[in-house]
Amino acid sequence: MATLSLFAVQASASAGASSDPDTLARGAYLARAGDCVACHTAPDGKPFAGGLAIESPFGTIYSTNITPDTHAGIGGYTEQEFAAALRQGKRADGANLYPAMPYPSYARLTDEDVHALYVYFMHGVEPVEHQPEQTDLSFPFDQRWGITAWNWLFVDQSTFTPTPSSDAEVNRGRYLVQGLGHCGSCHTPRGLFQQEKALNEEDGSEYLSGANLNGWWAPSLRGQPADEEGAKVSGLAGWSRDDIAEYLATGRNAHSAVGGEMTSVIANSTSHLSEQDLTAIAAYLKTLPAEGSTRGNDSDATGVAKESSTEQTLTRATGLDAGARLYLDNCNACHFASGTGAPRVFPSLVGNSLVNAENPTGLIHTILAGAQLPSTPKNPERLMMPGFAWRLSNQEVAALATFVRAGWGNTGGAVSAEQVKDVRETLNEQPGYSGAPTRYGAKTSAEHATDNQTPSPSKD
Amino acid sequence: MTDQPNNWQRRTFMRQSFLTIPAISAVASVPLSAWAQDDTPPLSEYYPRFFEPQEWAFILAATDRLIPADDNGPGAIAAHVPVFIDQELAGDYGNASDWYMDGPFLSDLPAEFGYQLPHTPAAVYRLGIKATHVYCQRQYGTSFAALDKAQQITVLEALEAGEIDFNALGVADLPSQSFFAFLLQNTKEGFFADPIYGGNRHMAGWKLLGFPGARANFLEWVDQYDRPYPLGPVSLKGLQNR
Repeated sequence: MATLSLFAVQASASAGASSDPDTLARGAYLARAGDCVACHTAPDGKPFAGGLAIESPFGTIYSTNITPDTHAGIGGYTEQEFAAALRQGKRADGANLYPAMPYPSYARLTDEDVHALYVYFMHGVEPVEHQPEQTDLSFPFDQRWGITAWNWLFVDQSTFTPTPSSDAEVNRGRYLVQGLGHCGSCHTPRGLFQQEKALNEEDGSEYLSGANLNGWWAPSLRGQPADEEGAKVSGLAGWSRDDIAEYLATGRNAHSAVGGEMTSVIANSTSHLSEQDLTAIAAYLKTLPAEGSTRGNDSDATGVAKESSTEQTLTRATGLDAGARLYLDNCNACHFASGTGAPRVFPSLVGNSLVNAENPTGLIHTILAGAQLPSTPKNPERLMMPGFAWRLSNQEVAALATFVRAGWGNTGGAVSAEQVKDVRETLNEQPGYSGAPTRYGAKTSAEHATDNQTPSPSKD
Repeated sequence: MTDQPNNWQRRTFMRQSFLTIPAISAVASVPLSAWAQDDTPPLSEYYPRFFEPQEWAFILAATDRLIPADDNGPGAIAAHVPVFIDQELAGDYGNASDWYMDGPFLSDLPAEFGYQLPHTPAAVYRLGIKATHVYCQRQYGTSFAALDKAQQITVLEALEAGEIDFNALGVADLPSQSFFAFLLQNTKEGFFADPIYGGNRHMAGWKLLGFPGARANFLEWVDQYDRPYPLGPVSLKGLQNR
């Protein structure tokens, strides 16, 4: 059987140049589903020409050129070599790829989909001659052969086969989530060897149970509501299928709005998927029992919030502590005293996974730098939250974040000025994100006075 | 670098001229903690970008007469109105950079024809202060800033009424009431504009009006009838005053 399918693959490879438009289009769609462009494109670089620096615990890994250029790219790959790279992390020369490439997930891909992707990358992508920077990790991580052992230990996924007990829709979702979607790369916690602790739901309840990503909390995606009455809602249990599909299509829904790394995933990948596929993904996620995660639920807590003492305090506006006052001065205009914001426009802070994350880095970053929704085909409006870095001191952000993490029944811990300082030091200068006025009136008289201490040629 | 000593002299001069204004002692006594975040230096340490020392002394005295500190609270000096005027005259507004400033200038046209003086706002101040200075020298033998309050008010009223003939004092094409109109308008702006522009220090103007500042949304106040709004103002930069 194996020999036979291999033969079939080779046969289609030799027929390489003949690419029918349907296969080409399907390959392009699958490349979207895999979000290949996100890692294989440098900032301001040509699509798929590589060169993006990916920070890993072992050093910086540079993504490769996967355009069909024969020298700089993968133009010389046979379909068999292409399949080995995708599913086993093997380069054409036999060397191991670093597992920054999610081949443990792509191992799920069917031959048919690998073929469509091959056709797309050979015929649908512009060849780019650019040779991106080479990954140069320090010893022992420069020893790529060592990954063989890692692969043997941790990569045991086989090509996807439908689970007989699930219907076709859930199986389609399972295939997309576990395979091309490689959702687990960010949403499944990693073990001692940076391996994902589970690659699918049979592999363990830690699959998609939420993980820390450079200090940001990638929340649990396990979506089946708990059985017991009054059990703590976690994961996506509070979201309906439509909520999930809408979020993936537009970056926003009635509960939340996207921030951080997921913004580009939605912009480049999920917003381009068909409604059926997004609904299938939602259907699959709703089959995963929502245990193994207790933090961050993005649940529909509107009813609870109405009664909350936080809302009453903010409404009375007397006897406020520093954090509550800062909330009224800076946040209340959009997120309101109820903390629930407005559906699809201002995300709710109540039960929000980013707000409640154990590590407050994501929340602090969002307060300091702001956030912007992606423009998607279904919802093109790039709604933006301004950054407050120019307006609030570390002390003030700490007081504000502490208030938000404790208000409306939220369960995040206190935030210190020290933590804010650390995040502030990592902020990039991103135009349009800071919210700070840049030209007129940006300076106080103090700053102007300082400017004038230095003699300027235009004066006197 | 060579202008360093000159700068130093100007600073000293301005500090001294500032100290002759008695109004500063009349600032309402609000605890400092209310604006602990505000690091704006006191007016005595402000180095004007536009005004020359003598002009600065005039602006300090004139704005202090227009909005004096009184029982209602701080006045133009405590609110740093002179800083606001100095900064706007040093910038695009002072240079009329987006105004149509080519002729013809016809002073007898109705208002809808727009601004008809051949001077930029910066020039209006330069010339207006100069003419007023010459007038005070002739009338009182001293500068405007050195007059007593009653005399200063008399001069301002004469400016407002157009009774002082700038033409005869060596300044052409500038009616004294036009100069006064600029001065009054910009003084009000400096008292009520957001503190980010240099004036309205500690949001004194907003406190006077009870304006809560840049808080943007008062949804939860729609149905709180007969309850006074308890919060002091917040500025664009996030400064608070109670």
